Parts: sequence; structure tokens; C-alpha cells
Amino acid sequence: MNSPVFYDHFERHAHGAGLKGHSTHYCPGCGHGIVHRDLADAIGELGLQDRTVLISPVGCAVFAHYYFDVGNSQAAHGRAPAVALGHKLANPDAIVISYQGDGDLASIGLAETISTAQLGLPITVIFINNAIYGMTGGQCAPTSLIGQKTTTSPAGRDRAMGSPLRVAELIAQLDGPIYVERVALFDPKQRVKARRAIQKALRLQAEGRGYAFIEVLAECPTHLKLTPELAEAWVRDQMVPVFPLGVKKDLTVEPWFHCGPPSYDVEKFLALVGAEPLEPDTEPPVPATSAIGDLSLKFAGAGGDGAQTAALLLTRAAIDAGFDATHIPSYGPESRGGTSYADVHIAAGEVLNPAAPEPDILVAFNAPSLAKFAPMVAPEGTILYDGGVITQLPALPAGCRVIAVPFTEIARGLGRPVAKNMVAIGALQGATGLLPPDRFTITLRHLLKDKPSLLPLNEAAFEAGRRAVCPPSVPT
Amino acid sequence: MSHFTTARPRPFLDPAYCKACLRCVEACAKHCITPGSTLNTITGVAPVELHLEHCTGCALCVQACPEPFGLRLDEGMSHLEGEFRLEDPTKLFGKKRVDVVDAPIEPDEQIPLPGCAPLVLKGAYASAIGAVLAGCRHVFGYPITPSTEGAELMAKLMPELGGTFVQAVSEVAAVNMMYGAGGAGVPAMTFTSSPGFSLMLEGISYMIGAEVPGVFVNFMRGGPGLGNIAPEQSDIKLACRGLGHGNTHALVLAPSTPQEMLDLTLAAFALSFRYRNPVIMLGDGFLGQMTGVVRLPPTLSRPGRPAWAVWGDRSHRHNLISSIHLAETDLEAHNEHLNRKYAAIAKRETRAELFRCDDAEVLVVACNTPARMAKGAVEVARARGLAAGLFRPITLWPFPIDALLPLLPRTRQIIVVEASPGQLEDELRLALSHADRVPPPITHVRRGGGVLPQQTEILAQIAATQEAFA
Repeated sequence: MNSPVFYDHFERHAHGAGLKGHSTHYCPGCGHGIVHRDLADAIGELGLQDRTVLISPVGCAVFAHYYFDVGNSQAAHGRAPAVALGHKLANPDAIVISYQGDGDLASIGLAETISTAQLGLPITVIFINNAIYGMTGGQCAPTSLIGQKTTTSPAGRDRAMGSPLRVAELIAQLDGPIYVERVALFDPKQRVKARRAIQKALRLQAEGRGYAFIEVLAECPTHLKLTPELAEAWVRDQMVPVFPLGVKKDLTVEPWFHCGPPSYDVEKFLALVGAEPLEPDTEPPVPATSAIGDLSLKFAGAGGDGAQTAALLLTRAAIDAGFDATHIPSYGPESRGGTSYADVHIAAGEVLNPAAPEPDILVAFNAPSLAKFAPMVAPEGTILYDGGVITQLPALPAGCRVIAVPFTEIARGLGRPVAKNMVAIGALQGATGLLPPDRFTITLRHLLKDKPSLLPLNEAAFEAGRRAVCPPSVPT
Repeated sequence: MSHFTTARPRPFLDPAYCKACLRCVEACAKHCITPGSTLNTITGVAPVELHLEHCTGCALCVQACPEPFGLRLDEGMSHLEGEFRLEDPTKLFGKKRVDVVDAPIEPDEQIPLPGCAPLVLKGAYASAIGAVLAGCRHVFGYPITPSTEGAELMAKLMPELGGTFVQAVSEVAAVNMMYGAGGAGVPAMTFTSSPGFSLMLEGISYMIGAEVPGVFVNFMRGGPGLGNIAPEQSDIKLACRGLGHGNTHALVLAPSTPQEMLDLTLAAFALSFRYRNPVIMLGDGFLGQMTGVVRLPPTLSRPGRPAWAVWGDRSHRHNLISSIHLAETDLEAHNEHLNRKYAAIAKRETRAELFRCDDAEVLVVACNTPARMAKGAVEVARARGLAAGLFRPITLWPFPIDALLPLLPRTRQIIVVEASPGQLEDELRLALSHADRVPPPITHVRRGGGVLPQQTEILAQIAATQEAFA
């Protein structure tokens, strides 16, 4: 009886017509067939048929799904380990096998091979090394031997074409894998070892212990242009000296891999994204005024001035008050030092254009920012700047309202120069009446609900900024 | 058979399945197997011949045979030798236990969410939260500006929600992890930006070919090459016309607000599973960074398990995820199936926003962030008495031509506004051409390199057009 892990009829092989319904597509004497049988037997003997997902590569084994009666996925060239990882993470109970040849695993997919091995999640990689490209017709493989003639090394592989890659050794020296062995098929003794290695690799996965890698030195009689018997001898005499057989790594590891199950818990989700359920009959906030058609602001300073935080606070406060509002930062390398600026829009209806190329209000924290953006301020706009930092005024557009407030000095007076952005927000509120002052404090308290110790300073800075443009004697 | 020394099963061979590789010949220590001398009339090769007088039942020949139906151990079937019929394997082997039951489709479940205060979120975060709401618990990615915020938030959220975030070795690996997870039937996604999206195209072609769902959020940046990290819209061509090799298409969604980043990401997963096809979210660099008001939907999804998934259990065991169809007619039929799917998407899933289009003579066509500048320009133009409107395609592929055609009789001028050298305009012109419509004159406002079209220049173009009419 053939293994029950093979289909009774190879329906996917040319629709199972004629001989193809029970014959593989492999050439006579090919090592793939033997490894297929070993793998099928191992899956069957370990009782894993209903859990197995086999990833077939690009290469001669591309049609492994013709034969194996398990879940099958066929991957792009070299990407089988990444596909295998996707399957394992989707269903950690699945037994996932990445079955690959030397071109797939050791050439085009080397990055996926190494990174997946180093990750060490419990999957099984079966690597068929026959020192040649089979499917494309006998080209040089990363594992072809020095001197080996192939269609792309017609004079024999030489040093300039690189030396054969010893993959099992490469994988074994990584931290991720727990079991790495190189086996062969050239005589009955080797075939017994190969069967055992494949079975052990699968068992380690089934037990959740870790990543195992089995390199199989296999025969490609067709492209070696040898009879199967001579191909076996070639593997034994030519390949084995370059690719020594044996266990390269075998660690005893306790089962460690866990992931999931996925959670769809509503309360957990809301807490994670910071969403706060409303009382059932809560009416959405309504903008206090519709006078704000679409107001645009630009906050500009050096990195560390807090322009972004100030802009975000304003955005949030406006949204909390029922307005539509947007914030766009300058970003990228610029946001990691150098200038930093932010565009804010506030509208009673919908913010149409979120950019502020001609801001109604400019808040500038330093001289370069003021010089850069002041000329763009809309006619009859407002320019608010740190009067303590900026002492030399550039030419400012006529018709603008210009207000200097020493943000930094005031903040320093409160003991924390970094609070200058809150001083600026206070000054902005005081100078423009943009949103009632308590909207800012409500939002501020909300934002700092997990860091209440920071609240007094920020509130004080906000108030100090307001007072600097709006003395207490003048009603707000 | 009384001369057999043990009761162990002996090898058995159906000659039609012997390829005469002779590996069994040298495997047998007792020289029981010899190269054949008679050609098999079906296969044209001479199968090996078994002489089992000295056979010990060691099975080493069986282990040497590369063919599943080649040498096997005879467990009571030797009487069938010579009588085997290719046409009827069940007669030979008996009817195999049928493990494959009709795969149950576990349906998606919608779990109600309470009404919540609006969130204030960056576009990239809004998209990530949209994915979480869609039930996505598998995120694969590679850091690239300006998309990293999405991945960073997912790296935080996924472990808390029993999900997985993997920072892959490359975008190439990331898309293939999506192929694996998507092939297992779970919602998977990535955040990327233009150069990373280029690297993912191979995998996207495989996903489309193998009908694997998955959502790609691409915050387009300046190109070609390394370009820069400022916003552009120059992957429109790639997403609409160039999703890897072969006959590929995917729904391309173009949000223009943080709210739409959430809403369309949420919709993208449903569409991706409905059609078993990837869905591409094209944002621009601005949109990922833009903070705005975002309201949560009324439900959170718990995804089910599709019948076609390669899950790794009995009921899904017969499934296959593959894009290979070796026979020419098979591949042709597969592509015809894909074409019918593309046609169904084009018929059912196009979306557009029409802003003040009803009596518009000048139609501005724009998407993503430039559409917001265009909206501002239209609003100002209207205030000045100019009959302008904005046609904003939300699906770029398929282009929402059916929503546009009724506007054309009144339209005297189309102005395409985009942060690319004409890629949106090409989509528009192609859609008009397929609809056999001669459009009104088309002009454009195009910026690039990270410079977005500004409201003032759009407005100036509208005004100039209107002057020309007068």
C-alpha cells in the first residue's frame, strides 16, 4: 500500500489523465520522489495528516501538491519560508513544511531562508540539494561543485563563480534552529537516516519545540547526465566531501511557541485605542460659533520648541468643542531636528484644504521661522511670535496684527522653559479669542489624565500666556 | 508461497508505474530485482522484474523507489498483479476513507460597539485601527517612511489582541507572509510606501493569481528611485495598471481624510475577502501624517473561516492555494474567471464623491490630499460665482466612470489636479475612452517631488477657464 498521505489518484497532475493519475512528474531516479515518500510516511506515522500545510517551492517540486493529500500552498520562487511563517502564525496548530530546492532556498530565497531560520518559529524546512537547477534545465546552482559543468558554467564552475554554499552549516550556526542535519539518499543506510531525520524534524514541530532544517543530498540523473546508479555514486563521491553528512545541530528545547488566540474583546479594543464610550443619550458637541468658516494656522519653530504639541492641542481642543479640525506636521528628517512646523485648520463645517500655505495666524518660536513664514500670512492675519527670542524683526506684511509675547521667558519664570508652547497657546487664545479658554483646559486635563503631576505647570503656562496679551482687568 | 521465510509483506510492483530507474536493483541485498527485458506497451520502458524467492521483506527496495505507486509492500494485493486497470484505481485500492467533509464556512460576526467620543488620530493610525476593527490580527511589514506609524501602532496593538506583527527581512518577505496568512484565510495587511510597494509587486501578482485576500496600505512618496519622503501620487499607474506580471487588477481605494483612512481600510478587508483578491489603499504621505477627527463604526468584526482556506485541519485539507496552471487551456480559463471577477468589481464597487457637481461647468478631478485643496478651491470659486465642482474618485481602479458620465453634458472643462505627472489624468482618459466618450477639454494642475497642488493655483486655473468661456 502506498502512504495514505499521498492521494489515491493524482487528480491535479494533468487532470489525472492516464498514467499521470498515478505517476509523478519527476524524471526516473530523481531524489525528490524518495524524499516525498519519506515525508509522506513521516506525516502519516506521526498522525499529522489533518494538521499539515505543505508549502511547495518553485523548482522541480513546484507540483508537490499533486501528490500530498494535505493542505497545500504553492509559493513564489524562494519565498516558501515566508509563506510558511504566514501559515504558522495564522494557525499555530498547523504543521507547516517548507519544501525547497537549492535554487529556491539557497539562491533567490536566501534572505527568507536565513531570516526565518533565525526567527526559529517551529516550522520544518526540507532542502533538496542536488547541486543543479532541474526545472530550468541544468543551470549552475549555488551548491554546484567547483569544476561542475552546467549549462551556465559550460567550462566548469570556477572560483569566480563562487564556491558551493554549505547551507546546513550556515543554518546551524544561527541561534534560531534547534535541529539541523544533512542526509543523503545514495544507499539504503543513508535512506534510513534520511527517513529518521525527516520524521524527527516533524516531531519537533508537532511538539512546539522549534525550527528544524533537513538538507538532503539528492540525485538529478537527468541534468548530471548520469544513470541513477552513477548519480548516486556521484553524490557519494563528489558531493559528500564538500557537503559532509551528519547532525549539525541538535538542541533540547522545551516547547515555547505560543501565539493567539485572537481577541475581539470590545472593552479591550476601546481601551487600547483610547476610545471612551458616551452615555447613551449624549448629544455631540456643537461648535460655539459658526463664525469660524475655515481658519488656518501655522506653528513654526525649531525641533524641541513644541510647535507640534501646541498644534495638536489646539486641534484636539477644537474637535472636542465640536469643530472639524486637522493638523499636518512637517515630517521626516526635518522632524528630527532643524525646523519643525505644523499646519492646523479649524472649521465649523468641514475642513476643506488642510494645508496652510497662507495662514490666517502664524505662531513663530524663532527668527528663521518668522522670516520664512511671515510673508505668507494672509492679509489682515495675525502674527504671534516669541518676543524674547526674536529681537530682529524681518519685514512683516502690512495690515497684519503683530503680537510679541516672550514665550520662553515666561516659561522659564515658571521653572520649565519647555512649557513655552503652552505659553504660546495661552497667548494665542488671549490674542484671538479662538475657542473659550476652558476648552483648552478641558482638553489638557483629558490629555494628561494619566500624568496629573504635569497638569498644574501646563495650566499655569497657559494662563500666563493668556495674561501676557490679555491683562486680567480686561474681560475676555 | 510456503517457501517464504517470514510473514513480512513482500514488494509488489505495478509495471505501468515503474520508470525503470533501477534504484531498487542495487538497493536489494539479495539481488531479487533485475532490470526488465520486456517493454511495457503503455509506458514504453522496461519495468524491473521481481524474483522474490530470496526476499526477506526488508523493504529497502521500496524505500529506494521514487514513485508513490511504484514499488509498494504487498499487503494482500498480489493477486491483482496483471489485472490492474488504470481507469479504476478504486477497484485496485478500495475506496479510500473520505476525510474531506464539506468545509464549513464560519461566518464573520459583527460585534456591536458602544457610541464613543470621536477620536483625534493621524491617518496612519486611523488606518491601523480600521484594520483592527475589520478583524485583522496579522500584520507584516518593513519600516519605510512615511508609513512607519502604522506598523509601529500595530507592533503595539497586535500582541495585546492575540495577534502578530512581524517586521520582515524585506517587503518581499512581508508580502509572502501575507500570502501565507491570507491563504490560511485570515485577514492580513501591511503598511508600506512607494519603494516598498515596488518590492511587493511580485507577491501581489501571486496573490491575485492564487486568489489570496490581503490589504496593502501604501502611503505614496516621491519617486522614481529613492526620490524623497514627501507626498506624491505617482504610484497610481503602478496600482491601477502594474500590479506585477500577468493579468492583474485589484481594487484601488484613495482616501482623503483620516476618517476615510479608517472607513476605507475597514471596507478594504471586506472587499478583499468578498472577491478573494488583494485591495490596495493608496494614501499620500500627507494623509498618513494628517491628524483629524475620526469616529468609530458601530461594530467590530470577528472574521470567520472561509471554506477555501488552507488552514491545516481535516475540513480544509483538500484546499490548494496556487497560481500555477500548467496546461494552456487551464490558465486561459483561470484568466477568464479572473476577468469575470474584475468585471463584477467594476460593476459593483466603484465609488466617488461629487462635491457641488450638479450645475458645474468646470469639473475639478482630484483624489487623496490634493482633492482637499481642490475642494477648498471649488468652495472659494463658488463664493465668487464660478460654477465649479469637484469629482473625487474614491476607487481609482475601477475608475468610477458611471458617476462621471452624467456630469459631462454640462461640463465645459475638466481640470485634473494631482501630485503626479498625469497618472490620474491617464486613468480618467482611459476610462472615458473605454466609455466611448469624447470628453470636454482637459487641462491640469500638476505638481511633483513632494509639492502638492495648492488651492490658489487650482483656483487660478478655474478662474482662467471661466474667463475663457466669457
